[in-house]
Amino acid sequence: MTTVICVECDGELEMTDDVLVGEIVECPDCGVELEVTSVSPLTIELAPEVEEDWGE
Amino acid sequence: MLIVKVGGSLGIDYDAVCDDMAALVKAGEQLVLIHGGSAQTNAVAEALGHPPQFVTSPSGYTSRLTDRRTLEIFQMVYCGQMNKGIVERLQQRGVNALGLSGMDGRLWQGPRKQAIKVVENGRTRILRDTYTGIVETVNTNLITSLLTSGYTPVLTPPALSAAGEAINVDGDRAAAATAVALHADTLIILSNVPGVLQTFPDEASLIPAIQLNDLETMAEAYAHGRMRIKLLAASEALHAGVRRVIIGDARSQRPIRRALEGQGTTIA
Repeated sequence: MTTVICVECDGELEMTDDVLVGEIVECPDCGVELEVTSVSPLTIELAPEVEEDWGE
Repeated sequence: MLIVKVGGSLGIDYDAVCDDMAALVKAGEQLVLIHGGSAQTNAVAEALGHPPQFVTSPSGYTSRLTDRRTLEIFQMVYCGQMNKGIVERLQQRGVNALGLSGMDGRLWQGPRKQAIKVVENGRTRILRDTYTGIVETVNTNLITSLLTSGYTPVLTPPALSAAGEAINVDGDRAAAATAVALHADTLIILSNVPGVLQTFPDEASLIPAIQLNDLETMAEAYAHGRMRIKLLAASEALHAGVRRVIIGDARSQRPIRRALEGQGTTIA
């Protein structure tokens, strides 16, 4: 497990070691959605607000 | 004016669709056909060593993961084999069909999604560099000028982004946008099932009619897989002025006229 700091509320998030680039995690403190932008080192950013994919 | 969407799944009888279109056009009906090509795209992608991948959205909608190579294969099949195959069938039946993709003449334009959200093995991820989008504007001048000149338009994805990129768009929703833009009375969506089934795949459980007010509840309860997007397209069309949407069966003779006679699921 690795701990990262929420970019929104400075709360701590415990991340499992198998986390994926692009994975969305929710901050347990403020509830904001965060995107894993790198796994080595582990970095997170606010997740973009995106619509669902309804292509063919 | 009648807008007909025919899917690209296995089992669809394109000869029957074209026979029916020819009969209707000869009887004076103005028709616009929109088609898919998913099964053939999967087969060609496999043959070319770039197998199809599908993603599921957080709400459970599935769609093709469209990287640049997939988009190229998609265009080969949709704009080439499928579109020209249907145009050829219609020409053989005396219909002066004219095939266009949504890119031609900026027929269908809309935003390319910068990122998409998908669920894989219970984990939600953001994917970028995909070529998908939605149709926001329809070049009605182009379609009506073709119709008034005696051509029958045969339309297919991809659409065009604001930056001029090809984007994979859902054909059912593109058909809905086209029906709305052309102020069509009726949109028919044909596929390889009889309509909305209460207990899929039991075809005897066909739901013959759905009231628009009940559509969301019925979709939640009974629609699976691609049927969910068909009902989303139906909802978009009906809420924007189309009077009725019929989801019908393209596996046997007279599929369009049978749908108009009430066979399938009529939503209004």
